[in-house]
Amino acid sequence: MGQIVIQQSAPGFELRHFEDAGRNDLALYSNPVEARAISTYSDAGEFRPLKTAPTLRHGWRLQLPDLESLRTALDFFYPAMLGSLLSHERNELLPVDLRETLGRQSGMYAVTKKITDPQADALIETVCNSAHGCLKTILWQIAPDRPVTSLPAEKFNPAVSQIPAALPVLPMLCAEACNLLVAAAREVVKKVPVAE
Amino acid sequence: MKSNSALLIVGHGSTVNPDSSTPTFAHADEIVRQGVFNEVHCVFWKEEPSLRQALHLIDSDEIYVVPNFISEGYFTRTVIPRELELTGPITHRLGRTIKYCDPAGSHQRMTDLLLRRAAEVAPGVPPSETTLFIVGHGTNLNDNSAVAAKREVQLIAERGLYAEVLNAYMEEEPLISKWDELASQKNVVVVPFFISDGLHSYQDIPVLLGIESEITAAASQRGIFRNNPYRLRGKTLYYASSIGTEPLFANVILDQVAAFDQLHREDAE
Ligand code: SF4
Repeated sequence: MGQIVIQQSAPGFELRHFEDAGRNDLALYSNPVEARAISTYSDAGEFRPLKTAPTLRHGWRLQLPDLESLRTALDFFYPAMLGSLLSHERNELLPVDLRETLGRQSGMYAVTKKITDPQADALIETVCNSAHGCLKTILWQIAPDRPVTSLPAEKFNPAVSQIPAALPVLPMLCAEACNLLVAAAREVVKKVPVAE
Repeated sequence: MKSNSALLIVGHGSTVNPDSSTPTFAHADEIVRQGVFNEVHCVFWKEEPSLRQALHLIDSDEIYVVPNFISEGYFTRTVIPRELELTGPITHRLGRTIKYCDPAGSHQRMTDLLLRRAAEVAPGVPPSETTLFIVGHGTNLNDNSAVAAKREVQLIAERGLYAEVLNAYMEEEPLISKWDELASQKNVVVVPFFISDGLHSYQDIPVLLGIESEITAAASQRGIFRNNPYRLRGKTLYYASSIGTEPLFANVILDQVAAFDQLHREDAE
């Protein structure tokens, strides 16, 4: 899932960064709550408010005894992603198009409604692209009759891995634009840096 | 015991400062440790997991939502209900019951918490010779935190422990930067009325107090609270971290759940 490989390791599971596959110098953790600390900062020490950004830290492995602790850890690494996938399989994950998400905003984000479709397309490419932005698979469109055209078809296909590795994937699904994208839309419309 | 229910704690979060969500997670860990709920989750406005993802995180059919906010305001009245699609204090949705509690900071136990924090930061200092400041932001138009801070000051003053209890704000009169003129006592305790530590408590208020001469890098952070007391402007100053970082705040969150149940008991019967 995402940049993490999950392996069976009796009696439970072992997790590590997919690029750390062959390493034997990894720091060992065994408490699922450690996943929160591991995923807070990137290798470069930058804070990761978007947990599905392709910037997961290297150099650790996490050993977990059972399914319950696996779920807890994955919910810290990739919040709500397992649950979203299960909801998706039950047809209960309802994608919300960007126009609807922006239309709902109030306060300082109300202006985001004014973004044009081409501006939105360009912004989505910058914020959501899997190489540098976010590893989720997008399920929404800009509007019911207006798909996102700035990203390759794979970005919208849950069967395709968003990382450059041929592993079976548990897709991470984006059912609705996140606050990061909404905040960036405000920046585009107002042409000012996003205030905190 | 609520062993069939989930607790959802809602925080503001931040895209730049991880300390914003730290107390929310700490309170959740403490509540998990107490084993009161079947599940405990945190969601945020500006971080993941988001409010919109909340229902996919939770398995339980009964969900108590407690905003980890210092007061009622724009977020508790507009943003959280909208993002969670709530229809009132009790919402039935997709076979689930969502119970929307008051924000943690508006519980009456906050007064005790403020007093506790003030006593902790200035051990052995007699309150009868001390001015206590509760500091709020002061310019958030949609936010009632200034009103809430005023109410707490009144309640603390009524207990008659401290020689003087005062409100002050960062950007509004009475300004915290004039603390030495406002305070009549030689000991001064300052408690920020915020839900988490961040730029306000690490940098802005220390500069206004005169502890720091200029805005320093966010890295120096917690040292600010370790160097108490500060001898400044002819007084002895004790500076506390934000009230929301108090470990007992977890119990206030649970108190809000209990308060909700008490208030809505008749509805259920
Ligand atoms: S909108 Fe979705 S895909 Fe884009 S950055 Fe946010 S979470 Fe990722």
